[in-house]
Amino acid sequence: MTDENMTHENEDKLLAAARKLSTEISPGRDLWPGIAEAIENPAPRRWTPMLAQAAAVMLLIGASSSLTYVIVKEQQPTQITGTPTGMIFEQTSFANRYSLGPGFQDARDALANDLQTELVRLSPESRANVETNLMLIHEAIAEMNNVLEQEPDNALLQEQLLRAYREELGLLRRVSGLTRNIMMRNDI
Amino acid sequence: MKRIPIFVLSCLLSVPVIAEEVDKTLDAAADGHVEVSNISGSITVSGWSKNQVEVTGTLGRNVEELVFERDGDQITIRVKVPGNSGHRHGIDSDLHIKVPQGSSVDVGTVSADIDVTEVTGDQGLRSVSGDIATESTGADIEIESVSGNVDIVGDLAEGEVEASTVSGDVTLLRIAGEVEADTVSGDIIIDAGSFDRAEFSTVTGDIEYRAGLSKGGRLDVETINGGVDIEFVGEVSARFDIDTFNGQIRNCFGPTAERTSKYAPGWELEFTTGDGDGRVDISTLNGDVKICNE
Repeated sequence: MTDENMTHENEDKLLAAARKLSTEISPGRDLWPGIAEAIENPAPRRWTPMLAQAAAVMLLIGASSSLTYVIVKEQQPTQITGTPTGMIFEQTSFANRYSLGPGFQDARDALANDLQTELVRLSPESRANVETNLMLIHEAIAEMNNVLEQEPDNALLQEQLLRAYREELGLLRRVSGLTRNIMMRNDI
Repeated sequence: MKRIPIFVLSCLLSVPVIAEEVDKTLDAAADGHVEVSNISGSITVSGWSKNQVEVTGTLGRNVEELVFERDGDQITIRVKVPGNSGHRHGIDSDLHIKVPQGSSVDVGTVSADIDVTEVTGDQGLRSVSGDIATESTGADIEIESVSGNVDIVGDLAEGEVEASTVSGDVTLLRIAGEVEADTVSGDIIIDAGSFDRAEFSTVTGDIEYRAGLSKGGRLDVETINGGVDIEFVGEVSARFDIDTFNGQIRNCFGPTAERTSKYAPGWELEFTTGDGDGRVDISTLNGDVKICNE
């Protein structure tokens, strides 16, 4: 027998053996525990595709807004918060009986609200000077109000108190004018 | 070794190390307007008989330039400095300016003293930190300082004067006419002079007045924390209204003060001298009042 005949005979044997093999192999039962049950009765899905997309959008918006907030906050000038000790602007009153009217009160409130911003523009010495003097005026006002409670109809005391409020308002206005002047001079 | 002198030379050439001298002159109107701006240093302005404006002095080493120009009747003198804050050093400039006597002047500084002499036109003088001194010859004067003293010396010619400072004293010598002076922390001293209308106020400081009051004139004096000492020069014909919240009243004219309230330590006093055609109102919250005449 020649080599070529031997090769053909071997090939035929191999082919015959291959034909006897099974064409499919079934997996054993419970290859994965409970899989048959899972296939039969699938569990409800927590996340639908729509829900997942919505969550992703919200997350994106939230992250973007947070980033914008952080950037903008860093760019904003530092706001002065808090009030120096004693710099409380009590509501105007005459022995807790009368007030000076909405017009005066509004003007005073507006100037008092701007005060912190204006004071920052002054030198430390000027700022301390203004604050000290405003506190002195407030102390005088408080003292006069105490006396007026004893004698509410004393016209002279009322006049003195009114004068003190006017002085306070005048000082607040001057501070406002001062800082405008400082800004103008710094533009030279 | 050869690199060292080159390096040193480069440094010297790149950094101005000395102030620049200034000596410039422009023709000007006899009664024109001169505006001066100098952030830091000093400014002296004096009037002379020439129809010219002359600027001499020294500019700080970091000053960009001195703007000195004329536009019609207006002369502008401005020390220009770099915009960035890193060059706030080396900008001190001392300017000596001569202007026609009849000029009106407007001077603005941040940190510089201002001294004006022999100028007969109106004056507007403003400084944030610096003393201001000037002379009054009857024209209108408006002075504003944040931190600095204000001194005005006059020749009794009547004019309108306004002087204001936050922290500093105001001194008015031989001023007449109408005057308004106020300070937050500081004294106000008025010596000689006579007024048709005078208003003085301090928050913390004393007011001393040694001057006259014109017939029908009006004097208003207010302090929050400070004493008032008034000595009239010459006759005074006025109605007096004086009150304190916490302070004594001493009166040389005769009438004695009365307590404002049994609950408050203050006093009040009203009286009239002469025809009573003038008006004197004095008020302190915490401070004594003394009122006399010579």
